[in-house]
Amino acid sequence: MDSGSNTEAPNPNHDPSSPSESDAAPPPSETGIEAIARRVQESLSLSASARHRFWETQPVGQFRDLGDSSLPEGPIEAPTPLSEVRRDPYNLPAPYEWTTCDMDDDHTCTEEFLRWALRPPGHFKSWHIGVRVKVSKKLVAFITGVPARIRVRNEVIRMAEINFLCVHKKLRSKRLAPVMIKEVTRRVHLENIWQAAYTAGVVIPTPIATCRYWHRSLNPKKLIDVGFSRLGARMTMSRTIKLYKLPDSTVTPGFRKMELRDVPAVTRLLRDYLSQFTVAPEFDENDVEHWLLPVENVVDSYLVESPESHEITDFCSFYTLPSSILNNQNYSMLKAAYSYYNVSTKTPLLQLMNDALIVAKQNEYDVFNALDVMQNESFLKELKFGPGDGHLHYYLYNYRIRTELQPSHLGLVLL
Amino acid sequence: MGDWQELGQAVFIGLTFAFLVAKLISIVVSFRGDQLRITREDDLQGEADASRNGDSGVLEEDAGVSEEEKLLGEESDDDWEGIESTELDEEFSAATTFVAATAADRMAPKVSNDVQLQLYGLYKIATEGPCNAPQPSAMKVTARAKWNAWQKLGVMSPEEAMQKYIMIVTELYPNWADNSNTRNKDEDTAASVSSSSDKARMGPVFSSFVYEEELDNDLTLEAIHVSAREGKTQELLSYIENGVSVNLRDSEGRTPLHWAVDRGHFDSVETLIGKNADINAKDEEGQTPLHYAVVCGREAIAEFLVKHNADINIRDKDDNSPRSLCSSPWPFMHSTKVLQ
Repeated sequence: MDSGSNTEAPNPNHDPSSPSESDAAPPPSETGIEAIARRVQESLSLSASARHRFWETQPVGQFRDLGDSSLPEGPIEAPTPLSEVRRDPYNLPAPYEWTTCDMDDDHTCTEEFLRWALRPPGHFKSWHIGVRVKVSKKLVAFITGVPARIRVRNEVIRMAEINFLCVHKKLRSKRLAPVMIKEVTRRVHLENIWQAAYTAGVVIPTPIATCRYWHRSLNPKKLIDVGFSRLGARMTMSRTIKLYKLPDSTVTPGFRKMELRDVPAVTRLLRDYLSQFTVAPEFDENDVEHWLLPVENVVDSYLVESPESHEITDFCSFYTLPSSILNNQNYSMLKAAYSYYNVSTKTPLLQLMNDALIVAKQNEYDVFNALDVMQNESFLKELKFGPGDGHLHYYLYNYRIRTELQPSHLGLVLL
Repeated sequence: MGDWQELGQAVFIGLTFAFLVAKLISIVVSFRGDQLRITREDDLQGEADASRNGDSGVLEEDAGVSEEEKLLGEESDDDWEGIESTELDEEFSAATTFVAATAADRMAPKVSNDVQLQLYGLYKIATEGPCNAPQPSAMKVTARAKWNAWQKLGVMSPEEAMQKYIMIVTELYPNWADNSNTRNKDEDTAASVSSSSDKARMGPVFSSFVYEEELDNDLTLEAIHVSAREGKTQELLSYIENGVSVNLRDSEGRTPLHWAVDRGHFDSVETLIGKNADINAKDEEGQTPLHYAVVCGREAIAEFLVKHNADINIRDKDDNSPRSLCSSPWPFMHSTKVLQ
């Protein structure tokens, strides 16, 4: 687990009847499973007895199976024949109906980021699922999936990457989430795909890895003004700004923006690099062209082309998620870069990432975020990233991994 | 949960149903939690339809939908959130725990078999989904009754079942939640971790810096520096009037003016200058308040300092002057430059 945090990783081998349970003695009716679930929750400072009855009905790793080495790795349930997959959408409460969000239509989807995130090669429109009010046609909830090939150890599996589960605040009491998850699962099954990968900020049964976000201030004054970071009582703004100051231009010779002609070289570099991780996407040139070729204010990729041999030796990338800032008179948007895939073979990773910070600063990003996945931990502290309060838990649907993975064994970044 | 007794008389079904219909007609104002909710007429129609289907549990449910829908129209997009709520699960768990405890308690008032079976069916739906177990033999009266209770609910969703279960328990024992340890504990915890619930979503997580007080910083400040840092102009004035030096240094050589500039408190800067603070005071690194203003991008304050004869060419220990550090095209820095 993340070494920078005080929270303890749930220990899969921990005896559920250990004495430490006594403080928070569960009601007599509580079973051992729930006690373990409770411990997992508590260890991550989440709701103490959040029990996940929905997830207990799903083919996902269950808390009760933690540490059970007799269970095989791999699919939890075998695929059912396509003819047995439910044909009709699940029922929604009467005032609502399913709708498919048309990401090709500029009027429906003005958000450049979503057009990128939701239309990779081979995407299915039927996986862009909305719930709207029948009468007003107003969209009140959505969930999306995109297809991906993800390798787990030696198996390459077609999966759905599930993302953007959002429900309007006023409908949160309607418990739409489980039915939306079931509906997207049904539609994924209809494409003969039986596994999925997803991430969440909360613990549900059962994370394959728990990562932490780290943040690197690029515009510390703004971050402090909007409350993203705090200025210590004994720290000056002046010194803080000097601390995070970056050179005006990048330092690595041959560091430049990725172009279309670089796709084959970047694909080779990336495939080779990602092969070392336990869980990682299996990218081909089409994927690289979609996911990594720069799109302004959506995704940026830079590489190092050797000035002598013109070989592509190193690569770094980040995607952009702006967030709205509420209640601040000076700023309305926070421009955040999220570290995506980085490969270093000749340039030290530290120097490569420092150049990534420099170009992000040049392009007026306020903060550069990175998870402690892959080899990121090796540069975070040195490049003045600070630990964030956000954890990101990774999950696989209908695929069991026996023991929780270290973030550094994950080669996967989900948006 | 499994300890349900034999099937009660059919008359209870009649009574329960009659009660629910009576409730349906009389509901114009319904309560949920502490919230008062006005139910509109067309909602009653929806409820009536629901109850004709024998689906008596949805009364409050449908009313809620319409109300929420109405509110939706007035809300902005700021109300979007990612979700992964477990409140319902928690409440349902608490309710089942309460029911189990009540069933085990011989002193507790008994509920009818009919209601018990209803709860049983809802429990099975909530935890196992629709009934697809084979029908038990008619000889096994209890098992058959339980199976019937489960089976007749059809393809009801687990969430709906949980809500109905909670509603029935609440009707039977209006104060059940108060007596439930589990629930009280949940609420306490919920309050203390409310910040984590903001992150309860699938997909992008919003994270910000963990606040860490710098450990290797043994700076000591006097009270007047704190007032300057916080922009408390009146406090500054009273310290100065009580004989505290306007140029008092902190342990790293900063004056109150450095602190006021650093935090951007224009009023305090004005006040300190009015009290003849040393405008070119240097801290340990040789930096003046104008260095701070330039580094921190505080244009109005920098301009004010320059107007009050702050030296734009004064060098710090790294040989940087305010002018050399200034990357912004501030005219008051430029025009002075011309004069040099």
